[in-house]
Amino acid sequence: MPDLSFEPTRGFWDAAARRELAVPRCSACDRYVWYPQPRCPGCGGSEMAWTVVSGRGTLFSWALVERALYKPFKERAPYVTGLVALEEDPVVRIVTNIVDCDPADLHMDMPVTVVFRELSLAGEEAGVVAPYFRPVSASVPGFEPQPQPQPKPGATTGEEPSR
Amino acid sequence: MASRAADWGWRGELPDASGQVAIAGVGESRHTPASGRTSVEIAIDAVGAALDDAGLSPRDVDGLMWSGGLPGQLDEPAFRQHFGARGFDGPLWTSSQGGGMVWAGTAPALAAQALAAGDARVIVNVFSIAWATQRQAGEGSPGDAHSSEHFKANLELPFGWFPQPVYFATIARRHMHEYGTTSAQLGSIAVSCRRHANLHEGAVMRDKPLTLADYLDRPMLVDPLRMEDCCLISDGGAAYVMTSPEHARDLRKPPVHVAGVAEGHSGSGVFWSQQGDFTATPQVFSAPAAFEMAGITPADVDVLTLYDPFTIVALMQIEDMGFCKKGEGGAFVEGTRLHHDGGGLPYNTHGGLLSHAYVLGISHVVEVVRQLRGEACAQVPDAQIGVYGGYTGHMASTLVLRRGTR
Ligand SMILES: [Zn+2]
Repeated sequence: MPDLSFEPTRGFWDAAARRELAVPRCSACDRYVWYPQPRCPGCGGSEMAWTVVSGRGTLFSWALVERALYKPFKERAPYVTGLVALEEDPVVRIVTNIVDCDPADLHMDMPVTVVFRELSLAGEEAGVVAPYFRPVSASVPGFEPQPQPQPKPGATTGEEPSR
Repeated sequence: MASRAADWGWRGELPDASGQVAIAGVGESRHTPASGRTSVEIAIDAVGAALDDAGLSPRDVDGLMWSGGLPGQLDEPAFRQHFGARGFDGPLWTSSQGGGMVWAGTAPALAAQALAAGDARVIVNVFSIAWATQRQAGEGSPGDAHSSEHFKANLELPFGWFPQPVYFATIARRHMHEYGTTSAQLGSIAVSCRRHANLHEGAVMRDKPLTLADYLDRPMLVDPLRMEDCCLISDGGAAYVMTSPEHARDLRKPPVHVAGVAEGHSGSGVFWSQQGDFTATPQVFSAPAAFEMAGITPADVDVLTLYDPFTIVALMQIEDMGFCKKGEGGAFVEGTRLHHDGGGLPYNTHGGLLSHAYVLGISHVVEVVRQLRGEACAQVPDAQIGVYGGYTGHMASTLVLRRGTR
C-alpha cells in the first residue's frame, strides 16, 4: 500500500481518489517533473503544481508477471505491470497495471487511457483508488470498459507539493 | 533507430590508476546454497585464500576495502576482531567504497591513491554475501533496499513493478521492440555462461548443463525473462589483494596490472522507469574513459566479465561498451561468440552471476586475474587484456586489467 502521508507523492494519490491523474508541473517553465523532486531539472525552479493530465498515453513497455516474487501480488499473477508514456509529455512514464485486456493483445506504443480502481493487495484493506490503464480500443469479450468522468486537462488541483 | 543524445548521465571523477596498482592475490570462499554461515565468516575464508595466493599473511595487510552500503561485510571492526586474535595489530587504511558490485571495479582507483600516498602497502578488497541462508531464514533479500525506498514504495510497488526481474523484463521488452532482440539471443548469453560454469570447479551450476533448446523450453518467470535469464542466489565471497607493481614483482604469483578505471552514473538514479535512454546502461559514460586511460580499444580485449544480474543487462553493456553497435548486441552474442575457446569475445568465463555464483561482481574480477595469469578453468589462450564491467543501480564501472611482467 502506498503511504498516503508521504508528502512528495501525496498529490498523486489525492488526485486518484478524485479519479484524476495528476503530475507535478514546474510553474516557471511548464515542464512536467516526474518523479516528484524539489527542483525542476529543466530550469531549476522550485515551484511545482500538481496538474491534472488527460490520462491518455501510450504503452511504453511492460512485463507479464507469471510468477510474482513480491508477496502481496502472489495471488494476482499472472498480471501486467509496466510503463505508460503520457500524451502531454512522453518523457513522463507512469508505473501502472494494464487492465481489461488479454496480455496477448498488448503491443508496444499502443494507445491507452486511465481507469480508476481500488487497489487490491493481499492482506491489505481496500479503499485506496489507483490509476490503472487499459487499451483505448479494448474490445475483449467480457470486459466492459467503465465510463470515466471527463478529466480537465491542464487544470491544476490547487495543491502544491510541499517539499 | 536514430542515435540518441547521451545526456541522461555522466562520467564520475576517479583518480588515474593506470600503471599504479597490481593485483597480487585473489581468493574465493566456496560458493554454495544456504550454508548457515554468516557473510563475515565467508569473507574471512576469501581473504585467507587471497593472501595465501599472494604469498602474504594477515600481518602484511595494512589496507582494507569493503562495501559500506551492505550489512554484514568484513569491515574494520570485524577484520580486527578475527585477525587480531591471529597476530594482526597494525594500522589499517580503510575505505567502505570497495567490495563488490560497481565498486569491485573502482576499488583499484582509490587504492592507487592510498598506495601513492604511502597510506598503505597491501590492500585487501573483499565482498561476501549470505543471501541464500538469509532467504531461507526470511531475513532479507536483494529487493529490500528497493522496497524501503519511498518513491518506489509509493509509485512502483502498489502496481507490482517490483522486484528487479520485473524492471529488467520491462527493459528487455523495450529493447526487443527497438532493436529486434529475441529470446533466443538472450538465451545465448545464458547458455554461454552455463557452458563456462560447467567447466568451473567452484561454480554453483557446475553439474547442470543448459542448451539453447532447454532454455527456450523453460517457462517464463516475468515475461520476457525466464528463470535462466536471472542471477542465482547463493552464499559466497571473494577478495583480491592490491599492492604497487614494484612490490608485486616479488610476490608468489605473476602480477596483473590495473590499466584503466572509470565509472558512469545515470541521472535518474535508481528509478529505472524514468531513465532517459531506457535500453542503455551508464557504461556509455564509463567504458570509453577506461579504455582511453588504458590506451586500448574494445577490439583489444581478450576476455570480458560483466556484472550480469540478468541476460539483458549483459547485452546492453556489451553494446554500451562498444563491443558492437547499439542495438546489434542480440545478433552479436549468438552462437559461439562468447565462448572461451574460439569465441570472438570470451565472456564471463567463470559463469557469471547467472551460473557461477551470486557474489555481486567480485568473482568477476578474480576470474579476469586468473585468465591473465593463465590459470582459469575455461582458459582463453594467451589472454593479455581483460575487462570487468560493473553495474549497480544508477552506476556502471569499467576496470581494465593487463598481464604484468616481473
Ligand atoms: Zn522548470
